Amino acid sequence: MKKKAYFKADEAVTGLGRFKGLEVRIGTIVDDEWDEPMGPTPLPSPTDLRSWDHKLLTKYQPSYMPYCQVCCLCTMGKCDLTGTKRGACGLDMKGQQARIVLAAANIGCAAHLAHSRHLVDHLIEKYGPRTPLIQGPGTEIHAPVSRLVTGMRPRTLEDASIIIDYCETQLNHTLSAVATGQEGSWLDFESKVFHVGMVDQLGMEIADLAQVSTLGMPQADPDAPLVESGIGMMDKEKAIILTIGHNIVPAASITDYITEKRLWDQAEVGGMCCTAWDITRRDPKAKVIGPISWQLRFIRRGLADVVVVDEQCVRTDIVTEARKVKSPVISTSDKAVMGLPDRTDDPIDSIVKELVSGKIDGCYISDHSIVGEVATKVAIALKPSRRKMKFLPTKKQIQKMAADCKKCSECIRACPNNQNVMEAVLAAETGNLEPLREVYKNCIGCARCESACPNDYDLHSWMVVAGEADCKDEKYMVRTGRGAIQDTEIRHVGQPIVFGEIPGIIAHVGCANYPGGGDDVHHMAEEFAKRRYIIVTSGCAAISMGHVRDENGQSIYERRSGEFDAGCVVNVGSCVANSHIAGAAIKIAAIFAKRNLRGNYAEIADYIHHRVGAVGISWGAMSQKAASIAAGFWRLGVPVIVGPHGSKYRRMLLGKAEEERDWTVYDARTGDRVVTAPGPEHLFYAAETVAEANVLTAKLVIRPNDTGKGRSIKLSHYIDIHETYYGFFPDDIWKYIRRETDIPITLKNKILAQMKENKWKEKKIPDPTLLKEQVIGGGT
Amino acid sequence: MVMKPVPWQTGEICGPNAAKAMKSADVLKRDLKNCKKRLLIVGSDALTEKHGKGDMIDYAIALSKAGNMDIIATGGAIKAFVERSYERAKTMGAMELAYRLQHEDWVGPFGKGPYDMIMIYGIPYYMQWTLLSAVMNFGTHITAIAIGRYFQPHAKWSFPNMKEKQYHTILDEILELVGGGK
Ligand code: SF4
Ligand code: SF4
Ligand code: SF4
Repeated sequence: MKKKAYFKADEAVTGLGRFKGLEVRIGTIVDDEWDEPMGPTPLPSPTDLRSWDHKLLTKYQPSYMPYCQVCCLCTMGKCDLTGTKRGACGLDMKGQQARIVLAAANIGCAAHLAHSRHLVDHLIEKYGPRTPLIQGPGTEIHAPVSRLVTGMRPRTLEDASIIIDYCETQLNHTLSAVATGQEGSWLDFESKVFHVGMVDQLGMEIADLAQVSTLGMPQADPDAPLVESGIGMMDKEKAIILTIGHNIVPAASITDYITEKRLWDQAEVGGMCCTAWDITRRDPKAKVIGPISWQLRFIRRGLADVVVVDEQCVRTDIVTEARKVKSPVISTSDKAVMGLPDRTDDPIDSIVKELVSGKIDGCYISDHSIVGEVATKVAIALKPSRRKMKFLPTKKQIQKMAADCKKCSECIRACPNNQNVMEAVLAAETGNLEPLREVYKNCIGCARCESACPNDYDLHSWMVVAGEADCKDEKYMVRTGRGAIQDTEIRHVGQPIVFGEIPGIIAHVGCANYPGGGDDVHHMAEEFAKRRYIIVTSGCAAISMGHVRDENGQSIYERRSGEFDAGCVVNVGSCVANSHIAGAAIKIAAIFAKRNLRGNYAEIADYIHHRVGAVGISWGAMSQKAASIAAGFWRLGVPVIVGPHGSKYRRMLLGKAEEERDWTVYDARTGDRVVTAPGPEHLFYAAETVAEANVLTAKLVIRPNDTGKGRSIKLSHYIDIHETYYGFFPDDIWKYIRRETDIPITLKNKILAQMKENKWKEKKIPDPTLLKEQVIGGGT
Repeated sequence: MVMKPVPWQTGEICGPNAAKAMKSADVLKRDLKNCKKRLLIVGSDALTEKHGKGDMIDYAIALSKAGNMDIIATGGAIKAFVERSYERAKTMGAMELAYRLQHEDWVGPFGKGPYDMIMIYGIPYYMQWTLLSAVMNFGTHITAIAIGRYFQPHAKWSFPNMKEKQYHTILDEILELVGGGK
């Protein structure tokens, strides 16, 4: 490993001039104590893993569904790319769609990476570069993604910074490939999508590792605390501080200030989106209000006495919305200043005064250490007067206003979920708010309906009024993010997972752009948890999953263990904690199969792809970040399902079950080419309904390496779920039977008949790999 | 109600090409004459949409019988066909269909393709929109007829955001037309 040079100086005078805050870093992390041999691809460039990507992209070809058929990225356009036409730069429709997929993945990665960079720089400044990175007890293989991708073991914040340097360079390359006149082939665009997805996973791992190491969050803790969640949990008797976004630093300064000044009896802190998880990971007295799409329903109720936004997934009209309910906004991130005046250098009391007086709608404060004091003081000062104000219309007022509805349908046409808002408004006119309440349940809170309404109705507020009782009843206990999975847990379940006896790991992650309410996520998770699959979760999906109570009044987190084991529900944390889900799959290869991780990406991805029955589901995926997170899983060969809105990502990665060539692997023991069953059948798929997602999930956990017992368990679940949701016995079971031991015993006769009908022949169970070099003796 | 051939979801504008507005069933005559390998695609929304005394699943069965069409049900809609013991329906995912319809040699799950025409309804609007975009750009051997109520710009023919009553009347006319005008 190259020798590293690093120095930092507050001020330096060189031949080039005088530099302030000079930082020089060359090379990589020195790790003389690590005797694991270096694999073939440490710190891969955008093309180093191209041949692995091409293997996956041959098996799972992109199916493009142009979401926009013109291109307007340069002044030679707009170009009409429909059919076989090409743009002025020579790009065709497939290339353009792939380019946009790459643009999205780049954007997503950039958002996580900038967050990661900010965190690491901030923590270095606060705690020093030598601060150790600690993932928690039982995590000897800490930072598995970093090991795999970079060949390095980051042990300090300074190491973390070096890894982010690498990520930033890679992102720069993949971003530049989108420029006019750079990449031209859809295949290479797609390979770069995988690359930036991998880089994203790495950047997220570093972000979470850095914050878990320094900010007092649970460290790989299966018993991470249960915290209060839901709009109904917010105590109106106290001043309420709402935090929105993903970056813990400003939010932490709030809970720290409240703790230091012993103000918890006067103030409440609630979070939305990932900041919710991270503040509760740091301080379980804070609360998880709801997912990203709950922003308006909470703000419109006027419950927030101050709104503090950091970065990512924040409503960009937050200042306008907050102004309507007289909540001042404090923006804290240079990525989302929101047009507010910079008050960073003003005395705290004068900022507080200005905000409390309403002289300004809000302000930008870049010094996070003072955000807590300002926000708390403002909230406490404003609470008494704000509690006397009414922000929502009364039912009578709604009824009266509804009488003027023009019946123009514009509200329905604007609604992404095609909710019949107009009918609900017409019902409200008669005094019946029930249909508006129904709309509220399926609503993602986008307010597009009201933007479209020619009468300027505050339609979303009307829904909030109609759903008042549901809102108050939103009271749940959810388990906050635990961070990484312990090696000991992996040791315990590695074998049953690889052999297929624990039928699969299902990860519910991502945003809240649900086609029909958040309950679906709970339904899907429970369906598989009760069948003893391992359920992991993060982000907004983890919030929605907890927002359903059973007949005993318990949430899924109260019912189910947080330990990584069959039937569990494990919340790893915020979006950046997604990296621990990938990390768990990577660690299975290291712990159970004793594979070297170090700079050994293709071998480990090949291992995971063929042996670890993992499926990612992002039912409400909406963001570019969700795209880059998915891409990180694709490169590891892990299939991802999204909800119907995910079709707008405009390309799927689909297998063809009947093409034997696509499912042919090497048997690593002999070098023979062996045809396997089509599993996992697809790599990226938008399901139309929960029914389809459930059937597909049960099928996508099938892997070539399943033992007979494992395969029969997976097939029994697939059959049962297929019969439940589709109403008939699946007709492709015979394809998945390799030997008679694969047949679920209770269904033997039916399956034998299907096998006979399809002229089934016994198949070999190989030691599967797509990599010739993995064949013992090098495949020669 | 708009009754214009513009995308039903107002943001879903696409590109230079747009479907022709189907204001009566008769406009399909020529395509029905030219396309004999027809596939009917029925999405999950069909389960909750009424038509006459039944629902849009019943309509699918009637259309399939009248027009000698295979049905592919998406998103779990197959269950309703199974419950009605209609055997000429199979299940596939909408996204799988969007992919397979791009291939000229795809014979489909009945083995009776390649199809030269699809009639489609019942998939959530935006998802059907993307499916049809794939067909319009890469499955040019297929004549796509969208028979949901709302305008799908990537079909060859689509209703111009119909009023409900009128929509169901035209559906019945189409039924008659595919059955040879009996
Ligand atoms: S980038 Fe290419 S396709 Fe896009 S507008 Fe410019 S010339 Fe046309
Ligand atoms: S706010 Fe709700 S009802 Fe209105 S358009 Fe958005 S999702 Fe539809
Ligand atoms: S957009 Fe407004 S006026 Fe038009 S139907 Fe909807 S509620 Fe009525």
